[in-house]
Amino acid sequence: MRELTVRDMLYETPGKETRKKTAVATVVSLLVIMVFLCYIVKLFSESGQLDSRYWFFFTKLTTWKFLFEGILGTLEASLLAGTSALAIGFVFMCMRICVYKPLNYIGIALVEFTRGVPTLLFIYFFFLDVPKMGINLPTVWRISLPVAISASGMVSEVLRSGVNAVPKGQREAALSIGMREINVFLKIIFPQAVRYIIPALVSDLVIVVKDTTFSYILSFPDLMQNAKVLISNYDALLSVYLVAGVIYILINYFLNRISVSLAKRSGMTPVVGR
Amino acid sequence: MTISELLSQYGDKYVEALLTTWQLTFISFAGAMIIGIIITVMRVCPVKPLRISGDIYVQIFRNIPGASLLIFLVYALPNLQVILSYYQCVLIATVLIPAAFASEYLMSGINAIGIGQIEAARSLGMDFGIMMRKVVIPQAVRFSILPMTNLLIATMLTTSLASQVPLNPKDLTGLVSYINTRDTGGVTSFLISAVMYCGTAVIIGQIGSYIDRKVRIVR
Repeated sequence: MRELTVRDMLYETPGKETRKKTAVATVVSLLVIMVFLCYIVKLFSESGQLDSRYWFFFTKLTTWKFLFEGILGTLEASLLAGTSALAIGFVFMCMRICVYKPLNYIGIALVEFTRGVPTLLFIYFFFLDVPKMGINLPTVWRISLPVAISASGMVSEVLRSGVNAVPKGQREAALSIGMREINVFLKIIFPQAVRYIIPALVSDLVIVVKDTTFSYILSFPDLMQNAKVLISNYDALLSVYLVAGVIYILINYFLNRISVSLAKRSGMTPVVGR
Repeated sequence: MTISELLSQYGDKYVEALLTTWQLTFISFAGAMIIGIIITVMRVCPVKPLRISGDIYVQIFRNIPGASLLIFLVYALPNLQVILSYYQCVLIATVLIPAAFASEYLMSGINAIGIGQIEAARSLGMDFGIMMRKVVIPQAVRFSILPMTNLLIATMLTTSLASQVPLNPKDLTGLVSYINTRDTGGVTSFLISAVMYCGTAVIIGQIGSYIDRKVRIVR
């Protein structure tokens, strides 16, 4: 049985009258939804978008192979960005929790900066300005690095919340058996912290996947870019963008589901993300 | 370019861009709250089809990348004979996506109340309206202050999508990419925009946590 949430408990078990009202409302709302869907289908058919020439190539294997290559590109950029964000975020987090005060403030400033600036601004910086400085990054890094930097502040805060969630007694116990502070952190605190925050990290990956969509700015072959190529090959704009959008939604949906089930398994409230 | 060159040449444009970003942010956030509340009401109402369509709305718009949605609105909708201005496209994208998150935050605010309180309210003889007004909504709103603050900041970051279409006046991101494609703006040109974004985010964050401290329920 599905577990009960507050939204199921808001109402009492309905009586005869209420059941009748609910039934009427159900029928009416179904009708409204049907009318809305019909309207969309009508829009599509009237403008000829249901024409088979816009859809036939989705039956070809090569189309899907090409789209799949795009998905691989998206995943490559996302994983690269995700791991880099983890590394940068870890450094930021260390700065924030270390005992040396000035480093604390630098850490806070860096976190606030990366969290308050849109990814696109970082992407344009790496796209327009970094090459002018004579630094030539491989294409995948031109998208992954700005996305990683932009996510790193968020990741750092997630890591810090994990470290704070480890009970104080753990640290005291480790210190009292004579471990050094650095070993306490690396061997006792951090491994436990990671377990608390894996769901939040997975849901942050959704943001990274979304941000890599901007790859089309620099023609990195991700899903969006490959969709554009398909569009120019078959002269079918709407259908391809629709399919690409659905693929993105599915990828992120499953990432969110993984995050929720991981959270449930470790008995925590799931994170909503951004 | 040095900072003084940038400011003398583009100074008023930066101010204009900052105001554009603020305007987009606040209009989008207001729209997102309205739609988010409507979607949340749909998701908690006892009518099944409304619940399901509310859930589907949230799943679609919390998972779609902003760029993908904006490109669809700008380039694909004209194929359906729906022609919107660039500004409208940007606004629709920056309303629909945060609205899904607003609804998620409100839902988790409602879920945070706990079934026991609902049962207690009912056993005291409160009817649905009174229970909503006195027990559910006041607590859900308080739980949602911090998430909503973060959502306002996230909405501001989402408005950088406006740089993907030709707008006049440009937003902060659009202006920087405009300066750097014509000129060698250098790091400074990016930093000015970044500081403006960041400053706005910090101010919003401060106000949010001030309100949160005032209304938080300490357990």
